[in-house]
Amino acid sequence: MKLPLSWLREYVAVEAPAEEIAERLTFSGTEVEGIEHLGAGCEDIIVGEIRTVTAHPKADRLRLCRVFNGTDEVPVVCGADNVEVGAKAAFAPLGATLPDGMTIKQAKLRGEISQGMLCAEDELGLSSDHGGIMLLPPETVAGTPLLEVLGGVETVLELEVTWNRSDCLSVIGMAREVAALYGVELKVPQPVLAESGKPVAEWTRVEVADAADCPRYTARVLTGAVLKPSPLWMRRRLSCCGVRPINNVVDITNYVMLECGQPLHAFDFAMLTDSRIVVRRAATGERMATLDDEERELTSEMLVIADAERPVAVAGIMGGAGSEIGDSTQTVLLESATFDPALTHRASVALGLSTDASHRFERTVDRSTTEWASRRAAVLMSELADAAVAPGMIDVQAEPETAAPIACRLARLRAILGVPLEHSEVLRILTALQIPAIDAGDDVIHVVPPSFRPDLKIEADLIEEVIRVHGLDELPAADPIGRIVVDADDARPRAVAACRDHLVGLGLSEIMNYSFLSSRALDRFGREGVAQRVELLDPVSADHGVMRDSLIPQMAESLGRNVTHQELDAACFEIGRVFFRENGAIGEEDRLAIGIMGRAAGSSTGGAPVTPEATFLRLKGVLEELARVQNVRDVAWTPGDDPAFETGWCVALSIDGVVVGRAGLLTADIRHNWRIQNPVALMELKLDSIISQLHDTTSFTAIPVYPSVARDLAVIVDEAVQHGDILRVINSVSPEELTDIGLFDIFRSKEMGNRRKSMAYTLTYRSAERTLTDEETNSQHAAIMDRLREELGAEIKER
Amino acid sequence: MATTKGTKSTKVGTRVRGGEVRVDLETLKKTVDEGLGEARTAESADALEAVRITYLGRKGLMPQVMKELKSVAPEERAEVGRLANSFKNELAALLESRRGELNGAHSASDEAPVFDFTLPGQGSRRGTRHPISMVIEEAVAIFGRMGFTVAEGPDVETPYHNFDALNTAAHHPARDRQDTFWLDDGNLLRTQTSPVQIRVMESRQPPVRIVTPGRCYRRDTTDATHSANFHQIEGLYVDHDVSLADLKGALAYFAHEMMGPDVAVRFRPHFFPFTEPSVECDFSCHVCGGAGCRVCKGSGWIEIAGAGMVDPRVFERVGYDPESTTGYAFGMGIERIAMIRYGIPDIRLLYENDMRFLRQFS
Ligand SMILES: [Zn+2]
Repeated sequence: MKLPLSWLREYVAVEAPAEEIAERLTFSGTEVEGIEHLGAGCEDIIVGEIRTVTAHPKADRLRLCRVFNGTDEVPVVCGADNVEVGAKAAFAPLGATLPDGMTIKQAKLRGEISQGMLCAEDELGLSSDHGGIMLLPPETVAGTPLLEVLGGVETVLELEVTWNRSDCLSVIGMAREVAALYGVELKVPQPVLAESGKPVAEWTRVEVADAADCPRYTARVLTGAVLKPSPLWMRRRLSCCGVRPINNVVDITNYVMLECGQPLHAFDFAMLTDSRIVVRRAATGERMATLDDEERELTSEMLVIADAERPVAVAGIMGGAGSEIGDSTQTVLLESATFDPALTHRASVALGLSTDASHRFERTVDRSTTEWASRRAAVLMSELADAAVAPGMIDVQAEPETAAPIACRLARLRAILGVPLEHSEVLRILTALQIPAIDAGDDVIHVVPPSFRPDLKIEADLIEEVIRVHGLDELPAADPIGRIVVDADDARPRAVAACRDHLVGLGLSEIMNYSFLSSRALDRFGREGVAQRVELLDPVSADHGVMRDSLIPQMAESLGRNVTHQELDAACFEIGRVFFRENGAIGEEDRLAIGIMGRAAGSSTGGAPVTPEATFLRLKGVLEELARVQNVRDVAWTPGDDPAFETGWCVALSIDGVVVGRAGLLTADIRHNWRIQNPVALMELKLDSIISQLHDTTSFTAIPVYPSVARDLAVIVDEAVQHGDILRVINSVSPEELTDIGLFDIFRSKEMGNRRKSMAYTLTYRSAERTLTDEETNSQHAAIMDRLREELGAEIKER
Repeated sequence: MATTKGTKSTKVGTRVRGGEVRVDLETLKKTVDEGLGEARTAESADALEAVRITYLGRKGLMPQVMKELKSVAPEERAEVGRLANSFKNELAALLESRRGELNGAHSASDEAPVFDFTLPGQGSRRGTRHPISMVIEEAVAIFGRMGFTVAEGPDVETPYHNFDALNTAAHHPARDRQDTFWLDDGNLLRTQTSPVQIRVMESRQPPVRIVTPGRCYRRDTTDATHSANFHQIEGLYVDHDVSLADLKGALAYFAHEMMGPDVAVRFRPHFFPFTEPSVECDFSCHVCGGAGCRVCKGSGWIEIAGAGMVDPRVFERVGYDPESTTGYAFGMGIERIAMIRYGIPDIRLLYENDMRFLRQFS
């Protein structure tokens, strides 16, 4: 909200500079986000009188004017539409500097000389209006400095009023704050009406269907209004507050709203069928055109102001085009009312229509201001629009709720704040805020919240009032006291943190992706889960329209994007959540994804291409090591099937017979999206499967005393025989003394024949009881070799 | 060499009673000459090695001289020591160069294979931590030192836990479809991690001392400082004697640990539905020390956290006695802290996973 200081000072005599007031407000809960000085830099601008206007011979959109600057008439070329002979306007003569630093020089525009510039308000930094040159009242004298006409530079505070403080959405409300902060008096004018003609009750009737929707509705009738522009001082104040001046009657309703926080609406009385007002819910499907010339469809969740037949305004949000104040308006029905905040908010959201009025109504408007605002506006209309005010005001209102008194206990206040505030200080602050406070003895103060402070409901609200005015800068910072909550269990987050550390130690870099992505990106990796996907109802964009059901697509994309910046080697992991539908509900689960592409950082600088085997085995090595340090044994790798992975390069990962994830090599098709040349190994598994062993179950085993014996053997087998098969056979013999089986070479040659390979192992034998003799080892080794020959048709070479 | 009764000359001096050797300068000089001569004339590597053992070996002549230095006549002692040392160095160098000669026709300097110590090291490299998880981990550790433990909760929340239980009015704009991501089952993506606080309070009695790091969602259009998907860490301390001054102390400690020992905190009154009184907490700028700079937009202060005393109506909702229970809560954006701490200019960099960016953090 914008707060012009000259306006504020009409109600509270505070001469402190703007910066100081801003600081005090910020540290009492209303943050001042900026300070503007409107008119600063306009020192060189004067009033110019337009003497003649002729067409530019070479440009349709330009006009040639003769402008009188108080002493001379000078030629000025102007592109605005609102130049008229006799008009007074803001004029920058030769040599003048504009607020943006530009200096006016003699110029030739399409061949015509221009000695000065007629200025629009935005060019003078006075508002954002660029609708034409800034016209000034006819009585102003050419040559007068503009700032003299405007009454000087206006300082405007830009306020961030918090949602609970509806009372601060007005100049008077802020004056009340400033008065409390500075300990000075708040002076609110009491407008005095002169009424005439037939009483209002003979002009109109008001019917309110449900007082819950509209706790108070008042109406006045004003006759003989003369529509014209408002006086300059009012237009300036509206502009300073960001409200565009329209005509005197409409400007007055806006002016009074800005002044006291009560939105008003003026109807053209002649347009009200049967001259009456009905406040009711709209019928579903009922339509009306609002002031912004939009045709709107209404629902029964919206409150309207209607005449005998149709809606003439959406209550508290915007008037209707049909009853708008226009040049032909003579009789005005002035509405000052309050509407249910929640209802107004819902309608505002449903219509996508937020206005200065709805902004206030949805935060609660004080019913006790309603009459004041109506009277204030009526007085201004009689003064500025020559209107006659019909005697009386129609006032339909429900019994006002009386606010319950609140007990503020000083002991509680001091305990909550940790500050030993004095009784007298608490009383002083509450009183300064115009919150009636009664000392009830025993260090208890009874407070009856005033109607303009609907946010004060409980003791804690009063404690906040006291400390925000007292000042938080004196609040001590108590040394933190470490307190152990013995039964708090955070083993899981600690295990996840350890997992993250292990992965980084294994050379992987952590990445993070959004929780949502596009359906298209997910489709690329397979569509079988489409029905289980969770879509956002209102995504910001289609690129972020669906919750991820897997970490794999974004992992692949992250690797791919790196390839496009020539980052060909990457090993990454992401720990993140995925979302899916399960038994009719939306479920979520933490997953771990790993992606490996290209060479390992720090590996030797060989030029050989990176093979699919090497890439896959690097991935496997990471998972094996992670499982080992996390105490998760026996992750089984079995052939799997997944559209994202190459056939034959896809495995299901399971622990204790339960599938916990998948791994594989990304298909060449998908890689092609980012032109990834190297194989890409990806893995995804349920995070909890790999951190399930939270407690270390390691127990000591005696270190061997006797020496071990190592025997190598090369097993020549068909290509179809896998390492796992060989292990299985060796383990099926598995003498107690066999302590380790190490694969150290895989070798293929012409001599061995096509489709054959040699797999070389070192078997380590050791006894816990004695030194093994050659004979013992030989016989065990021979048994293993025999079994390999029998079961796998292996040819064996001892080394 | 002269021999007198009861003594026997050695290569470095004279052996007296019981095997003790008395070193003298003259003998030593002679021995030095002999040693260098033998080294020059040796014709094989073995011969060179024999020379080395005779003079420099562990039981050789020079160690013997050094051992017996104290027996040398005082006026000669310094000279003997100097001569012995220079001889050791000279002989060692000579042996080295002679070894080179004997190994081949070339001189040692351009022949010995020199290991290139400038080659890159090998072995797997540590990966990098994401700045977001680094900040979370550090924040968790700092609050951990004050006894806070981590609590977790779902990203998909009920409106009850995300709004109602947190005392958010039915028509508060935070609930709007333009601000919050709603799902078709009536639930929503949490807009804060505060619902975790509710879940923990529902499940146990005070004391509660938790931090809740996690992912949150708001319907912001992404730009340099906004992301619809972001992270928060919130904290909650509930007990029977907690004050706003305790909150300030805890946040001041966090500020020192996270941003530096000279960083100060200040409170400004604010409004949040679930705390009363509510404050915003600024940290003094760690870059300029409060003088004003680009990072703090000239103010010397950076807005970091929202906080306050838990509203008694929240305690009522979770079944705590609002009269005997007091507590504070705070929350802050992880991305914001990471950006300020590391000088990251655009929040989107945190989600692009560009290795050139990630490599800068470890
Ligand atoms: Zn700074």
